[in-house]
Order: sequence, then C-alpha cells, then structure tokens
Amino acid sequence: MNTYVKTFLHRGLLFGGFGPIVVGIVYAILQATVADFAVTGGQVLLAIVSTYLLAFLQAGATVFNQIEHWPLAKSLLCHFATLYAAYTLFYVGNTWIPFEPTVLLIFTAIFVGGYFLVWGIVWLCIKTASKKMNKKLN
Amino acid sequence: MKCRIIIDEHREEEVIVYAHERSALVQQIAQLATDEGFSLIGYRDREAVPLTPSEVICFTLEDGKVYAVTDRERLWIKSRLYQLEEHLPEQFVKLNQSCIANVRRIARFDTSLGGALTVIFQNGQRDYVSRRQLKHIKERLGL
Repeated sequence: MNTYVKTFLHRGLLFGGFGPIVVGIVYAILQATVADFAVTGGQVLLAIVSTYLLAFLQAGATVFNQIEHWPLAKSLLCHFATLYAAYTLFYVGNTWIPFEPTVLLIFTAIFVGGYFLVWGIVWLCIKTASKKMNKKLN
Repeated sequence: MKCRIIIDEHREEEVIVYAHERSALVQQIAQLATDEGFSLIGYRDREAVPLTPSEVICFTLEDGKVYAVTDRERLWIKSRLYQLEEHLPEQFVKLNQSCIANVRRIARFDTSLGGALTVIFQNGQRDYVSRRQLKHIKERLGL
C-alpha cells in the first residue's frame, strides 16, 4: 500500500474518535442551555458517525501537505476540496444547516474565508523565513 | 591582512577570519579550510574525477543515481544520498528527498505564489525546499 495512503488511514484512525467526543460536548451544552432540547436515537447515531468520519478525514487530509513531489498549490487544492466536500456533505446530511442556496453560499464564504486566512498566515511565515534566509546568505 | 597561527594540540582545529567583507581572499581561505580532509570521487563515464566539496553546487538523485553538479558538468557519485549526507561538511544541507545543496553556492531563496520555497543556485539551477527540511535549513543558517 502507498505510504501516503497508509499515513492517511493511520492519522484518520488515530484522531477519528475525537469527532464523537466533540458532538457529545455540543449536545451536552445544548441540553443545558436550550429549553426542551431533544434529539432522537437516529439523529445521535447519524451525528456520531458523521463527526467520526469528519475527524477521520480532517486528520487524514493533512497528509496532502507532506507529498513532497506535489506543488504546494496542488496539495492545498486537494486538502481544501476534501475538507469542503466533507463538511458540506455532513452538515447538510445532519440538517445542521438547511439545504438552501443562500445558506450554502454563506457557509461556503465562511469556509473559504477561514481556510484562506489560515493559508495567508502560513504564506506570510514562509515569505518572512525566505527573507531572513536570504539575509543570512549575504 | 594580519595572520596569526596558534599551535595548540588540545583545542579543536578551527580557522576564524575577521574581515571587512567577503572578499575573494576570504572565500579562498574558507574553501581551503572546508575542503581540507574531505575528498570525493566523481565519475565521468568510466573516468574517475577527484572532487572537492567547494566545487559541488549540489548532489541530486536522478533515476536512483546520485550526481554531483558542478559549474561545468554532472558527475556520477557511487554513494547513496543518505551516506553522503552523513559525511559531507557543514556547508551542505538537505533541501528535499533528492537534493543536498552547498549553502555557499545558493544565490537566493524564493517564495512562489503557491507558497513553495525554492532555492536558486549560482548557476541558475532551481530546486524546491521540502517543508520537512525547512526547520533544519534555518538552523543550519543560524536562524
């Protein structure tokens, strides 16, 4: 099996369990703060499976950044596409967001904004490091 | 330039140069000091060619073979890249899984819009810096 696939699965399995823990915490907070909060067994099961898979994919997708022979833009695109597809699918599937064009547009805008904000910070760090290294060369 | 030589059997051998700029003389002294005690054999077809570390711009791995890139040519080295890495002088640093660079032959570092960090050598050749090696390179440059 390809090393990167192995790493993907290994990381996914290692961190996948954190998803249901997060969903448990969110449900506990909702129960404590929202009056008459109730979820069915089916909803809980779906939420547990979804968040497990989300955490699995989120952790596994970090491997894209480590494929050295890929240009960074390609790694970034694959990482972004995986996370965006997974989050959209599971959020809509769990009805955490309604399947409406306006809502999906807002969700996408927030997701893209957040993702590229993090990316921008990383890019600035690399740029600064490159400047410092050039000074040292001179 | 003044020259002072201290013979002391108990201290590690070291050459320190105080200079106003990195002149040709300073470069020559650095070259002589780092090349001392380390030689390498490169192969041009079947002909063995002795190499000094300062002649080498970088070592690259292509089709499972290691080559030393110099200003004039590429010579085949009968060593694995990881073996070279262990024995090369400090001026050499691993850039990625298939390239070890001579820091003194790097013209500059460049950042692409995609966020990749690349090295441009004095001969115009380029190679990428792997994200895994970045920390190591920074340390080697004293950052």
